[in-house]
Amino acid sequence: MISVEGLHKSFGELEVLRGVHTRVERGEKVVVIGPSGGGKSTFLRCLNLLEIPTSGAVLFDGIDITARNCNKPAIRRRMGMTFQHFNLFPHLTVMENMTLAPKKLGLMGKAEAAQEARELLERVGLPDKANEYPGRLSGGQKQRIAIVRSLMMKPEVMLFDEPTSSLDPEMVGEVLEVMKRLALQGMTMIVVTHEIGFAREVGDRVLFMDEGRILEEGPPDQIFSDPRQPRTRDFLNKVL
Amino acid sequence: MPLFYDTLGALSFMERLERNFITADRWRLLLDGLGTTLQVSFMAVILGIVLGVLLAFMRLSKARPLSFLSGAYIDIIRGTPLVVQLMIFYFVLLGPTTKLDKAIIAAIAFGCNSGAYVAEIVRGGILSVDHGQEEAGLSLGLTRAMTMQYIVLPQAFKNILPSLGNELIVLIKETSILGYIGVVDLARAGEQIRARTLDAFLPLIAVAVVYYVLVKFLSFLLLRLERRLRESDQR
Ligand SMILES: Nc1ncnc2c1ncn2[C@@H]1O[C@H](COP(=O)(O)OP(=O)(O)O)[C@@H](O)[C@H]1O
Ligand SMILES: [Mg+2]
Repeated sequence: MISVEGLHKSFGELEVLRGVHTRVERGEKVVVIGPSGGGKSTFLRCLNLLEIPTSGAVLFDGIDITARNCNKPAIRRRMGMTFQHFNLFPHLTVMENMTLAPKKLGLMGKAEAAQEARELLERVGLPDKANEYPGRLSGGQKQRIAIVRSLMMKPEVMLFDEPTSSLDPEMVGEVLEVMKRLALQGMTMIVVTHEIGFAREVGDRVLFMDEGRILEEGPPDQIFSDPRQPRTRDFLNKVL
Repeated sequence: MPLFYDTLGALSFMERLERNFITADRWRLLLDGLGTTLQVSFMAVILGIVLGVLLAFMRLSKARPLSFLSGAYIDIIRGTPLVVQLMIFYFVLLGPTTKLDKAIIAAIAFGCNSGAYVAEIVRGGILSVDHGQEEAGLSLGLTRAMTMQYIVLPQAFKNILPSLGNELIVLIKETSILGYIGVVDLARAGEQIRARTLDAFLPLIAVAVVYYVLVKFLSFLLLRLERRLRESDQR
């Protein structure tokens, strides 16, 4: 579904991605781990063109989305993304946060969007928050809303950039729960996270990224129990 | 006339009030002057905001020439006195080449001046909105323009409302130099009364009081608007 070939990204002199190759199949759950500054976020952001790669290709269903003439909003509509800091729109209610994009892009009518939003809120256990402003929600609630806001666009793949790392520990579970259910429904997911339990349970494959490359990849059991690269081992020793 | 001058000190306060404001309907001068001040300010504010938003977008644009042009404009406006700008607009640029009314030329001059300051305020406001907001909008598949319109600008506006209000108040007070090109605004009206009655105190204090009340009234309205906007997101 997504095929990444020789992806490079530099910010001025700083080379952040130095040739990333990988493929993600439809329905696959890929977990990305690695030390801070290793390029994990930049990698995800290149996938939905929040960053434009310096060189290399990202093929999405066979189409090179890094091509200059590609319609970025149309591509991004097919990929949901959630961020470490949620990035809910503070001036809009939860309902408005969720219905803004589908309405403004003409994908749903007002009533249809509201109905869809209510169903999604129900599914993540927040049906009573529809008219609340984000400022009055807890971190865990915000991230659950951010996830269903992305789902409003009916994406084919979801990108998660450290969705639980700015949460208080007691709120991590509720967000991972939502992600697990999404995985069970067959969503294609690429998740940057340090939640090893989640990676083992949900992940089909783990990528270890360091210094702008994928140093090692494999099934979670192998990566976590028997990493081949010393760098992976070092990293796992630190986080486990 | 000298006799008249000498007697001034002997007049009672009520007589002075009458001479300065009632005789020859002099209060009408002040009222008309206030009208002119308000008209010029209103036109200048509208022009200033439109121009300021435009300049801010140019300044933030990735197209180098646009950004440079806007930067140079803002730099020149901020680096020269407003009185000089006003006189250039009237005596050099628009006066000799058009048949525009003095007050209109003045409004254009004040608007062009205010635009530079508004541009900096708006630019700061846009930059004050967390970059993650724009990214969240884009990642939902919204276009850049939609993201600006529905996500960044509403938040920026809320942040800059106090500064915009301040700019409005500064602008109104700055129009008191309209007399330099012979427009009779509130300040010049006071000056005309002074010249006729040779009493400096009352006309000038009256002018100051009218400006003060006007500014207070506007501050009050702005504060209410701010409060209303803040309530809407209950943070
Ligand atoms: N917009 C940017 N401009 C300059 N440097 C950046 C930018 N984004 C990321 N970087 C740098 O790229 C490197 C990798 O960052 P990132 O992809 O966020 O790593 P990770 O998510 O693995 O912690 C870091 O050194 C970071 O400072
Ligand atoms: Mg990161």
